[in-house]
Parts: sequence; C-alpha cells; structure tokens
Amino acid sequence: MNNDYRYMKTGYFVSLHAEILGDDVVPTTENAVDVYRPPILLTRAAKNGTPTMPFILTDSVKQIMAVFTFPVVVFPVNPFMFNGFKVAENRTALYMAVKSLSMNYRYAVCAQPLKGKLLSVKSFFGECVSEYGEVKAVAKKVYETFNIPVCKLHVQRLNGKAYLCGLQLVEFGEIQPSDVDLLSKMVSRFSGKGWSG
Amino acid sequence: MTRIACFVEKYNFFHSREAEALQMFKETAQKLGHEFHFIFRNELSEIPKYDAVFIRAITDPLYTAYVVSKTAWELGLRVIDDPISIRICANKIHQYRLFEKYGVPYIPTIFLGKEEFHHKQIAEIFEVLGKPVVIKAPYTSFSKYVEKASCETSFREVAKRFFRRSDYIVVQKFMPSRFDWRVGVLNGEVLYVCKYMMPKGKWKHGVKRRGKPSFVWGRTVTLKRDNAPKRLKEVALKACSVVGNGLYGVDVKEVNGDYIVVEVNDNPSIYRGQEDLRDKDIYEKIIKFLAEP
Repeated sequence: MNNDYRYMKTGYFVSLHAEILGDDVVPTTENAVDVYRPPILLTRAAKNGTPTMPFILTDSVKQIMAVFTFPVVVFPVNPFMFNGFKVAENRTALYMAVKSLSMNYRYAVCAQPLKGKLLSVKSFFGECVSEYGEVKAVAKKVYETFNIPVCKLHVQRLNGKAYLCGLQLVEFGEIQPSDVDLLSKMVSRFSGKGWSG
Repeated sequence: MTRIACFVEKYNFFHSREAEALQMFKETAQKLGHEFHFIFRNELSEIPKYDAVFIRAITDPLYTAYVVSKTAWELGLRVIDDPISIRICANKIHQYRLFEKYGVPYIPTIFLGKEEFHHKQIAEIFEVLGKPVVIKAPYTSFSKYVEKASCETSFREVAKRFFRRSDYIVVQKFMPSRFDWRVGVLNGEVLYVCKYMMPKGKWKHGVKRRGKPSFVWGRTVTLKRDNAPKRLKEVALKACSVVGNGLYGVDVKEVNGDYIVVEVNDNPSIYRGQEDLRDKDIYEKIIKFLAEP
C-alpha cells in the first residue's frame, strides 16, 4: 500500500520476494510493471472490457499527426518517467511534448486522441470520488484487472462514456483528508473480506 | 507459413556481424517458407498481423522491447523473449532468488538495500566475500553496470551510482578466470557453446576503454555443442529451467573442475562467425521454434 509500485523500488522488491516465497501479493509484480507502461495498460484493460481510445507507440511526431487529429494526449514510455503527460493542441505543442517526454527522441511515447474532456481521479481499491458513474465503473474495472490499491487514473469522457487513458502514481501531497477517509473505509472492507476476497 | 516479426532497434545494425546474423535469420526463415520482417518501435500497431515475434533489441521491462513482447503475448502470439523471461533476466535479484529456491549453483551473492548502505554492512560484505568484490546493478546487460571494488571508497562510489535506478544491488565474490563459458539454450536444449575470453589484462568480457565511450571485447572461441563438457550443459540447462523455455545465454564459470552459474541472459548476442561458427543450425532451430503451432 506504499503507493509506489515502480519497478526496482523497495515495494517492488518486497512484492517480488513474497511472490517467490509463494505468498499472495497485491498487486503482483507483473501488474506493477504493466500498469506504468501505457500501451500495455491500454491493451490489457481493453481486453478485459474497459473502454479505451486507439493509441500509437512512436517517437515520430509526423506519425502521430498522420494518424490522429488534434488535440492529442501524450504519455511517456521510458525508464525514468512514471508521472506526467502532456496535451498538445497544435503541431508546435506536439513537437515540444514529444521531445520532452521521449527524452529527446531516445525513447518512445504513447499518443492518443483527446476527443472528450480529460479527468484525473484517485482510485483507492477501485473506488473513486467522481460525479460520473461511468468514471467510477472504469476505476472498478481497472482494479478488477490489475489490483492496484492506490493510483491515479486519467480518463476522458465523451458522450456519456468514459475511456481509460493512463494510470500513474498519486503524489503524496495530492492526498486530501477526504481521500484518507475513503482509503480507510476501503482498507477495513478489504481486510474484513480477507486477501482472497 | 508463419509470419514472423523481428523487433529491432537501429543499434542492432551498427555491428556488421550482428547485422549479418539478422540477415541469416531472414534468409533461413524464407528458405523454410516463412515470412520474416524487421519491425521498429514505430510499428507496434503491426503486431496483430503476425504469428510470432522475435525480439533482438535490448530487453528490459522499462524499454519498448517489453511493450512489444507483452503486447504480442497478450495477443496470443509466440514470442522470444517472452515477458516472463524478460522480467526474470532483466532483474538479477529476481533471478538469484529463483536460483536459491531451486538449488541452482551460483556465485556467492549478497543483496544490498539502499537502507543498509553503511560502513558496518560494507565491512561485513568484505569479510564474507573477501576483497575485491563485484558490484552489479540488477539491470545489468552486455557487461555494463558490473564493476569491481576493493575498498570502501570505491564500493561507495559504484554503489551510489547503481542505487539511482534500483533500491537493491547485487554484490558478488570476485572469481577471476581467463574465460566465461557461454551456453546458448533454446527450449531446454543446448543450442551452442562458446568461451567468452577476457581481453588481455581485464577481468570481464566487455570492458569500457578509459575515457572513451567505446568497449573492448574479448575473443569468442566456439565449440561444437556435442564436444562441450556434459556437466557444463547440465548446469546451464538447470539454470534455464527456472527461468522459462525460451532462448537464453547462460554465463558459467569453471571453478576447480565444477561449474557455477554467473547469470542467465535473455536476448543473447548472436553474431555471424562467432556463436554460429561450429553449429550452423542455430538459425534454423530458432526459426522452427517460432514457427511451431
């Protein structure tokens, strides 16, 4: 529950050690690696029935412009960035976004069209505070698929439907008192049900 | 007919012997009646059009190669290297813990966490493993991020650098040798056997030139797989059995007539005229493995 499931960080090694010893671990190291790689997150989520937008993995701005119309949302896919994304409204902004998120074109980025309104919600065991039922449904489905206890989901809403765009860390400073209440409620429910629940 | 995609990055073509080996894979696949195309990082969306994916770019769960491998795996394609192997081989701590669990003989190893990085612990490591020690970052590949330290100052300097990307590092006993055995394994069978010689005056196969970005590599001496020591092959196969049944390169050290595993690597280097020198059928075997239903 340390919120930091990044690859090669302490939480990852603890989970790994427990997995090798044969214990049940939530989240599994496989899921912890996969959710921070946007193309894998979207592929697996879509396979499990979560609505997603089409995406491309590339380091070429021209390719993004050939496939999608503006605005475009760009996520990093490199070993150093686990947080942040950029929305590009035009060609110049897209060049700047790709240059910075691909670390000067060394790595690839994941680009998706931004057709609706982009929302970021904090998910605690699949529960989130949102006025939209469809966003809550996405959070629940993502939790069912990946079992990530604490995370931030980036979702876009279009015509009453929510599409998953990305999943990232919740920064410590972002957690509000109301989030703590929701989190403790979910933890008590979770521990009451036991690990298999 | 199987459509095979070979995922490569630009650097795979920099070395002429590697580029020739990739060409050999293509020619062999075509000779066997399969399609073989190179795909680059911008062509991820093409993966569903293929039946199998062969990854030749550097694999690490944080690199594009893992995204390619996992996407292909999720789509039900045959993949070398599969995502599970990548996760185990790209994280040496994961690998050594599995060796420990399943009784694979490996080099005496201690894991050091960021929290335990202090004078007392370092002194204890030197006491247990002797001086010098070899410090490895868990994400090591192609002899990179493996350094030797014989005093606390250099230990601290190296460890500090490796702790930037990982909260744990690997410290191993220094076992000098003229060469390391390299056993190529595919699907639980030995594919090729080589000796990776150390360059003159050096202690590992690939060493960075001082003050230059380039590497100097030792010679590769290839043996016929049937002529290689039986015990060596047994140890290599046992090490691979805990990782998976894909394509691996096992590094083994010969110590007092016995064999101990240094590490198992996924995406092992295959260069024309080196690994394939004695056993010419390695391309065919790999292609057939990818093409199997």
